[in-house]
Amino acid sequence: MTKSEVNNHYDVIVIGGGITGAGTARDCAMRGLKVLLVERFDYSTGATGRNHGLMHSGARYAVTDHESAKECIRENMTLRKIARHCVEETDGLFITLPEDDLGFQATFVQKCTEAGIRAEVIDPKQAIALEPSVNPDLIGAVRVPDASIDPFRLTMANVLDAQLHGAEALVYHEVIDILIEQGRVIGVKLRNNHNGEERTVYAQVTINAAGIWGSLIAQMAGVKINMFPAKGSLLIFGHRVNHMVINRCRKPANADILVPDDAVCVIGTTSVRVPIETCDDLRVTPEEVEELLAEGMKLAPSLGSTRILRGYAGVRPLVASDDDPSGRSISRGIVTLDHETRDGLAGFLTITGGKMMTYRLMAEEVTDLACKKLGVTKACETADKPLPGSEPQTPPNRKYSFSQRASYGRHGTLDWAVNRGDNTNDALVCECEGVSVGEVKYAIEKLHVYNLINLRRRTRVGMGTCQGELCACRAAGVMCDREQGAQKSIDDLAGFMNERWKGMQPVAWGDTLAEAQLTATIYQGLLGIDTMTKERRKEYYEI
Amino acid sequence: MKFDAIIMGGGLTGLTAGIALAQAGRDVAVVSNGQSTLHFNGGTLDLLGCDEAGNAVRNPLNAIDALSDNHPYKKVGDVKALAEKAQRLLDGAGIATEGNAEKNHWRLTPIGGMKPAWLSLKGMATIDDPDHLPWKSVAVVNIVNYLDFLSPFVAEALRERGVQVDVKEFTTPELDEARKSPSEMRATNIAKVVERQDLTQTVADAINYCLDKEYDMVLLPAVLGISSGERGDQLLQLIDTPAAFVATLPPSVPGVRMQTLLRKRFQQLGGTFIVGDQVTGGRFEGDKLKCVTTAKLEGSVLEAENFVLATGSFMSRGLVADYNHIYEPALGVDVDDNGLNRANWAALEVTDPQPYMETGVRTDEHLRCSKDGTTIANLYAAGSILSGHNGIKRVDASGVDMITALQVANNILNS
Repeated sequence: MTKSEVNNHYDVIVIGGGITGAGTARDCAMRGLKVLLVERFDYSTGATGRNHGLMHSGARYAVTDHESAKECIRENMTLRKIARHCVEETDGLFITLPEDDLGFQATFVQKCTEAGIRAEVIDPKQAIALEPSVNPDLIGAVRVPDASIDPFRLTMANVLDAQLHGAEALVYHEVIDILIEQGRVIGVKLRNNHNGEERTVYAQVTINAAGIWGSLIAQMAGVKINMFPAKGSLLIFGHRVNHMVINRCRKPANADILVPDDAVCVIGTTSVRVPIETCDDLRVTPEEVEELLAEGMKLAPSLGSTRILRGYAGVRPLVASDDDPSGRSISRGIVTLDHETRDGLAGFLTITGGKMMTYRLMAEEVTDLACKKLGVTKACETADKPLPGSEPQTPPNRKYSFSQRASYGRHGTLDWAVNRGDNTNDALVCECEGVSVGEVKYAIEKLHVYNLINLRRRTRVGMGTCQGELCACRAAGVMCDREQGAQKSIDDLAGFMNERWKGMQPVAWGDTLAEAQLTATIYQGLLGIDTMTKERRKEYYEI
Repeated sequence: MKFDAIIMGGGLTGLTAGIALAQAGRDVAVVSNGQSTLHFNGGTLDLLGCDEAGNAVRNPLNAIDALSDNHPYKKVGDVKALAEKAQRLLDGAGIATEGNAEKNHWRLTPIGGMKPAWLSLKGMATIDDPDHLPWKSVAVVNIVNYLDFLSPFVAEALRERGVQVDVKEFTTPELDEARKSPSEMRATNIAKVVERQDLTQTVADAINYCLDKEYDMVLLPAVLGISSGERGDQLLQLIDTPAAFVATLPPSVPGVRMQTLLRKRFQQLGGTFIVGDQVTGGRFEGDKLKCVTTAKLEGSVLEAENFVLATGSFMSRGLVADYNHIYEPALGVDVDDNGLNRANWAALEVTDPQPYMETGVRTDEHLRCSKDGTTIANLYAAGSILSGHNGIKRVDASGVDMITALQVANNILNS
């Protein structure tokens, strides 16, 4: 083999930069495999970045799906250890409202206990004292160990750790062909979505971890996976109404979970089957907004008078059981497919189904299978070793500035790499989220940031109440200073603002409409950005 | 309290109407919540910058004829005369401007865009023809660590048009006061530091020092002169080569200056400026508004012969969209919502014309409001609260503000 061939050959290629792919790349790398992770857009672009940010206790599944409940609580406890800087330990309530059957509560608690989930029945008055925003009409409450988790941070931490263990990672690299030789997948053809260049990479095992798009990857390899894209829409509110997760104590239904995330809270979800072709450009409909709001107000009535920042939608990769050709029997559990035994196609595995909560377990299962095929016996360590940022640490200094505390919250122990202490680095780009120039530079250098949307996912720039009113423009300036030409930055800025609008448009009334008009006054009226772009829309497949 | 006229809203529209009425000897009160969209202004005013097909307009007066019939300009008499009056009014307030209503010029935006403009504040960089820039060599000079002026963007826009551009930056130790808190490097804070410490000469020296050669034009962020235009004029004179200002991200120093000077002028003319308050309701009798209540004047009311509603659009809370409908919150006057429902207030793409922006308060041919279908004889509306125009797409927002305000003042004086 020549040197360039060595560089093109891996033990494992992982397709998909969501949490499952990132976790799988980490696990494979920790077992000593030579790993390449490829993602067609940015990390957490798909379902990973479009959910509640809920760290389930498993209670939601306790009655209907004992296995999932057990997996959830186990992973919940694991993530508290290994991903401390991504988790906020809020606890959750399952409330019973007058229209619900209070009899369900006893079954619920019993099933939770059987699954190993701490479920404590509390007095409704105590529930109101614990969580003042909860619907005061509640007639029952159970406290469970739900929590909130930042999926962007979690995914990035997994990628960083994979890299620390020798993995390579390519964003904006799309798989355009699966190479098959004598009944075996030997590699993939990639296209760089920034410049269109194509290249081929080889591996003994290729792992399909592309979420709902995994069905298209499988199709490329000539095998069929029956997937059912289920669109789930959610709404983000402008401040944190609740401090505990609030669920309805009944069989899972639409819009019955309210999760506090950072400075906001999120209600969701709806569930609608959609065609796979629509998954790249999902819009939240007025009907969905109506349902989410109506149901959300039953959990916390003050949502009715709280500004909605934006709406967004993700797609669950639901998989039909293989033994059910009709596709009616849907599994929400983890689905690991060995296409060698299933379809006679060696060197190709699919990991799908499951939930963000169980990503580590999914990664472990598929990595075990890959290791078996590669003859590697090293055991999984991902449940024991903390992710970068979550190592044992001294608590943050009380003298930290707002922006330093915010950065510490986002990057955990990796915050040491953010330059500060001088006027240049300390200048604030985003006042809502406390993002400094130093943090932006750190993200550009270390966290695979190529555009403002990437930057938002790494630093929360533009995620605050103003939705990028001024910070996006400042950040574009900082990024331009460093490596891009101005035209590219302006296109990027215009794309970013359109992406922000896409989430605001379905909820454009009240303060959100007023804010949208102010943003338009600044970006179009004052800056004239609408007259300055070169159309580049496709790259912005985004929320 | 009783006045000849009460104006609700203390931004460009309210103060223009207030000054015009006060100049005519009327006893006027302006009720302002303290906010003004002038804080987002780029140091220019626009009359009509873009026609309904989206093309830039060279001669705004000629292009007004082609506007649709519900545009507010169709309810004013002689736009040319009012535009001249507006410029004189600004001049009288100490706001010197360049430009006229028969020929738009162009302004440079903080990111290097070029937009048509009617009047530019003296000292702002202007261009007659964006295809033929008047400069061969330009230095774009920014303050070190000032993030709200995108000098590389401005430079690239000029280079694309064949100009030789250098990007420079300067600072002085005294500006560190504005850096004490990382969020204080904003235009208005810098302006205050320069004024407080009288740093104009120091800043000029620092700029001259960073210029190592001659340029046809030196472009600077507009961060000087928050209370008057003098300091900016002084600075430009102290710089060795011709120099001009380009607007920054908000808060805009030239915008805040306009707001300050207009308010000062209004008060000099004897006007009463009630700040930090807003109108919460009114008592209607027949086809007349008798008085209004405000949030802070508990128990007492403001009475007047005539009233002007100049509380702005959604962003100023002059209009409100709730879950089901669009309404005017202060007095509950009738609104043209163009038959839209919530699902189509907003268009899918951010740069699409947004239907909600065309909604607003319904007025008759004299710019009088109606309530429950009855025209109110002494209640007028002016500025961006009016229905029938999209100030962003037509580039006519500040023109509509001033021209309709002056027309309303005329209507009141003639009534």
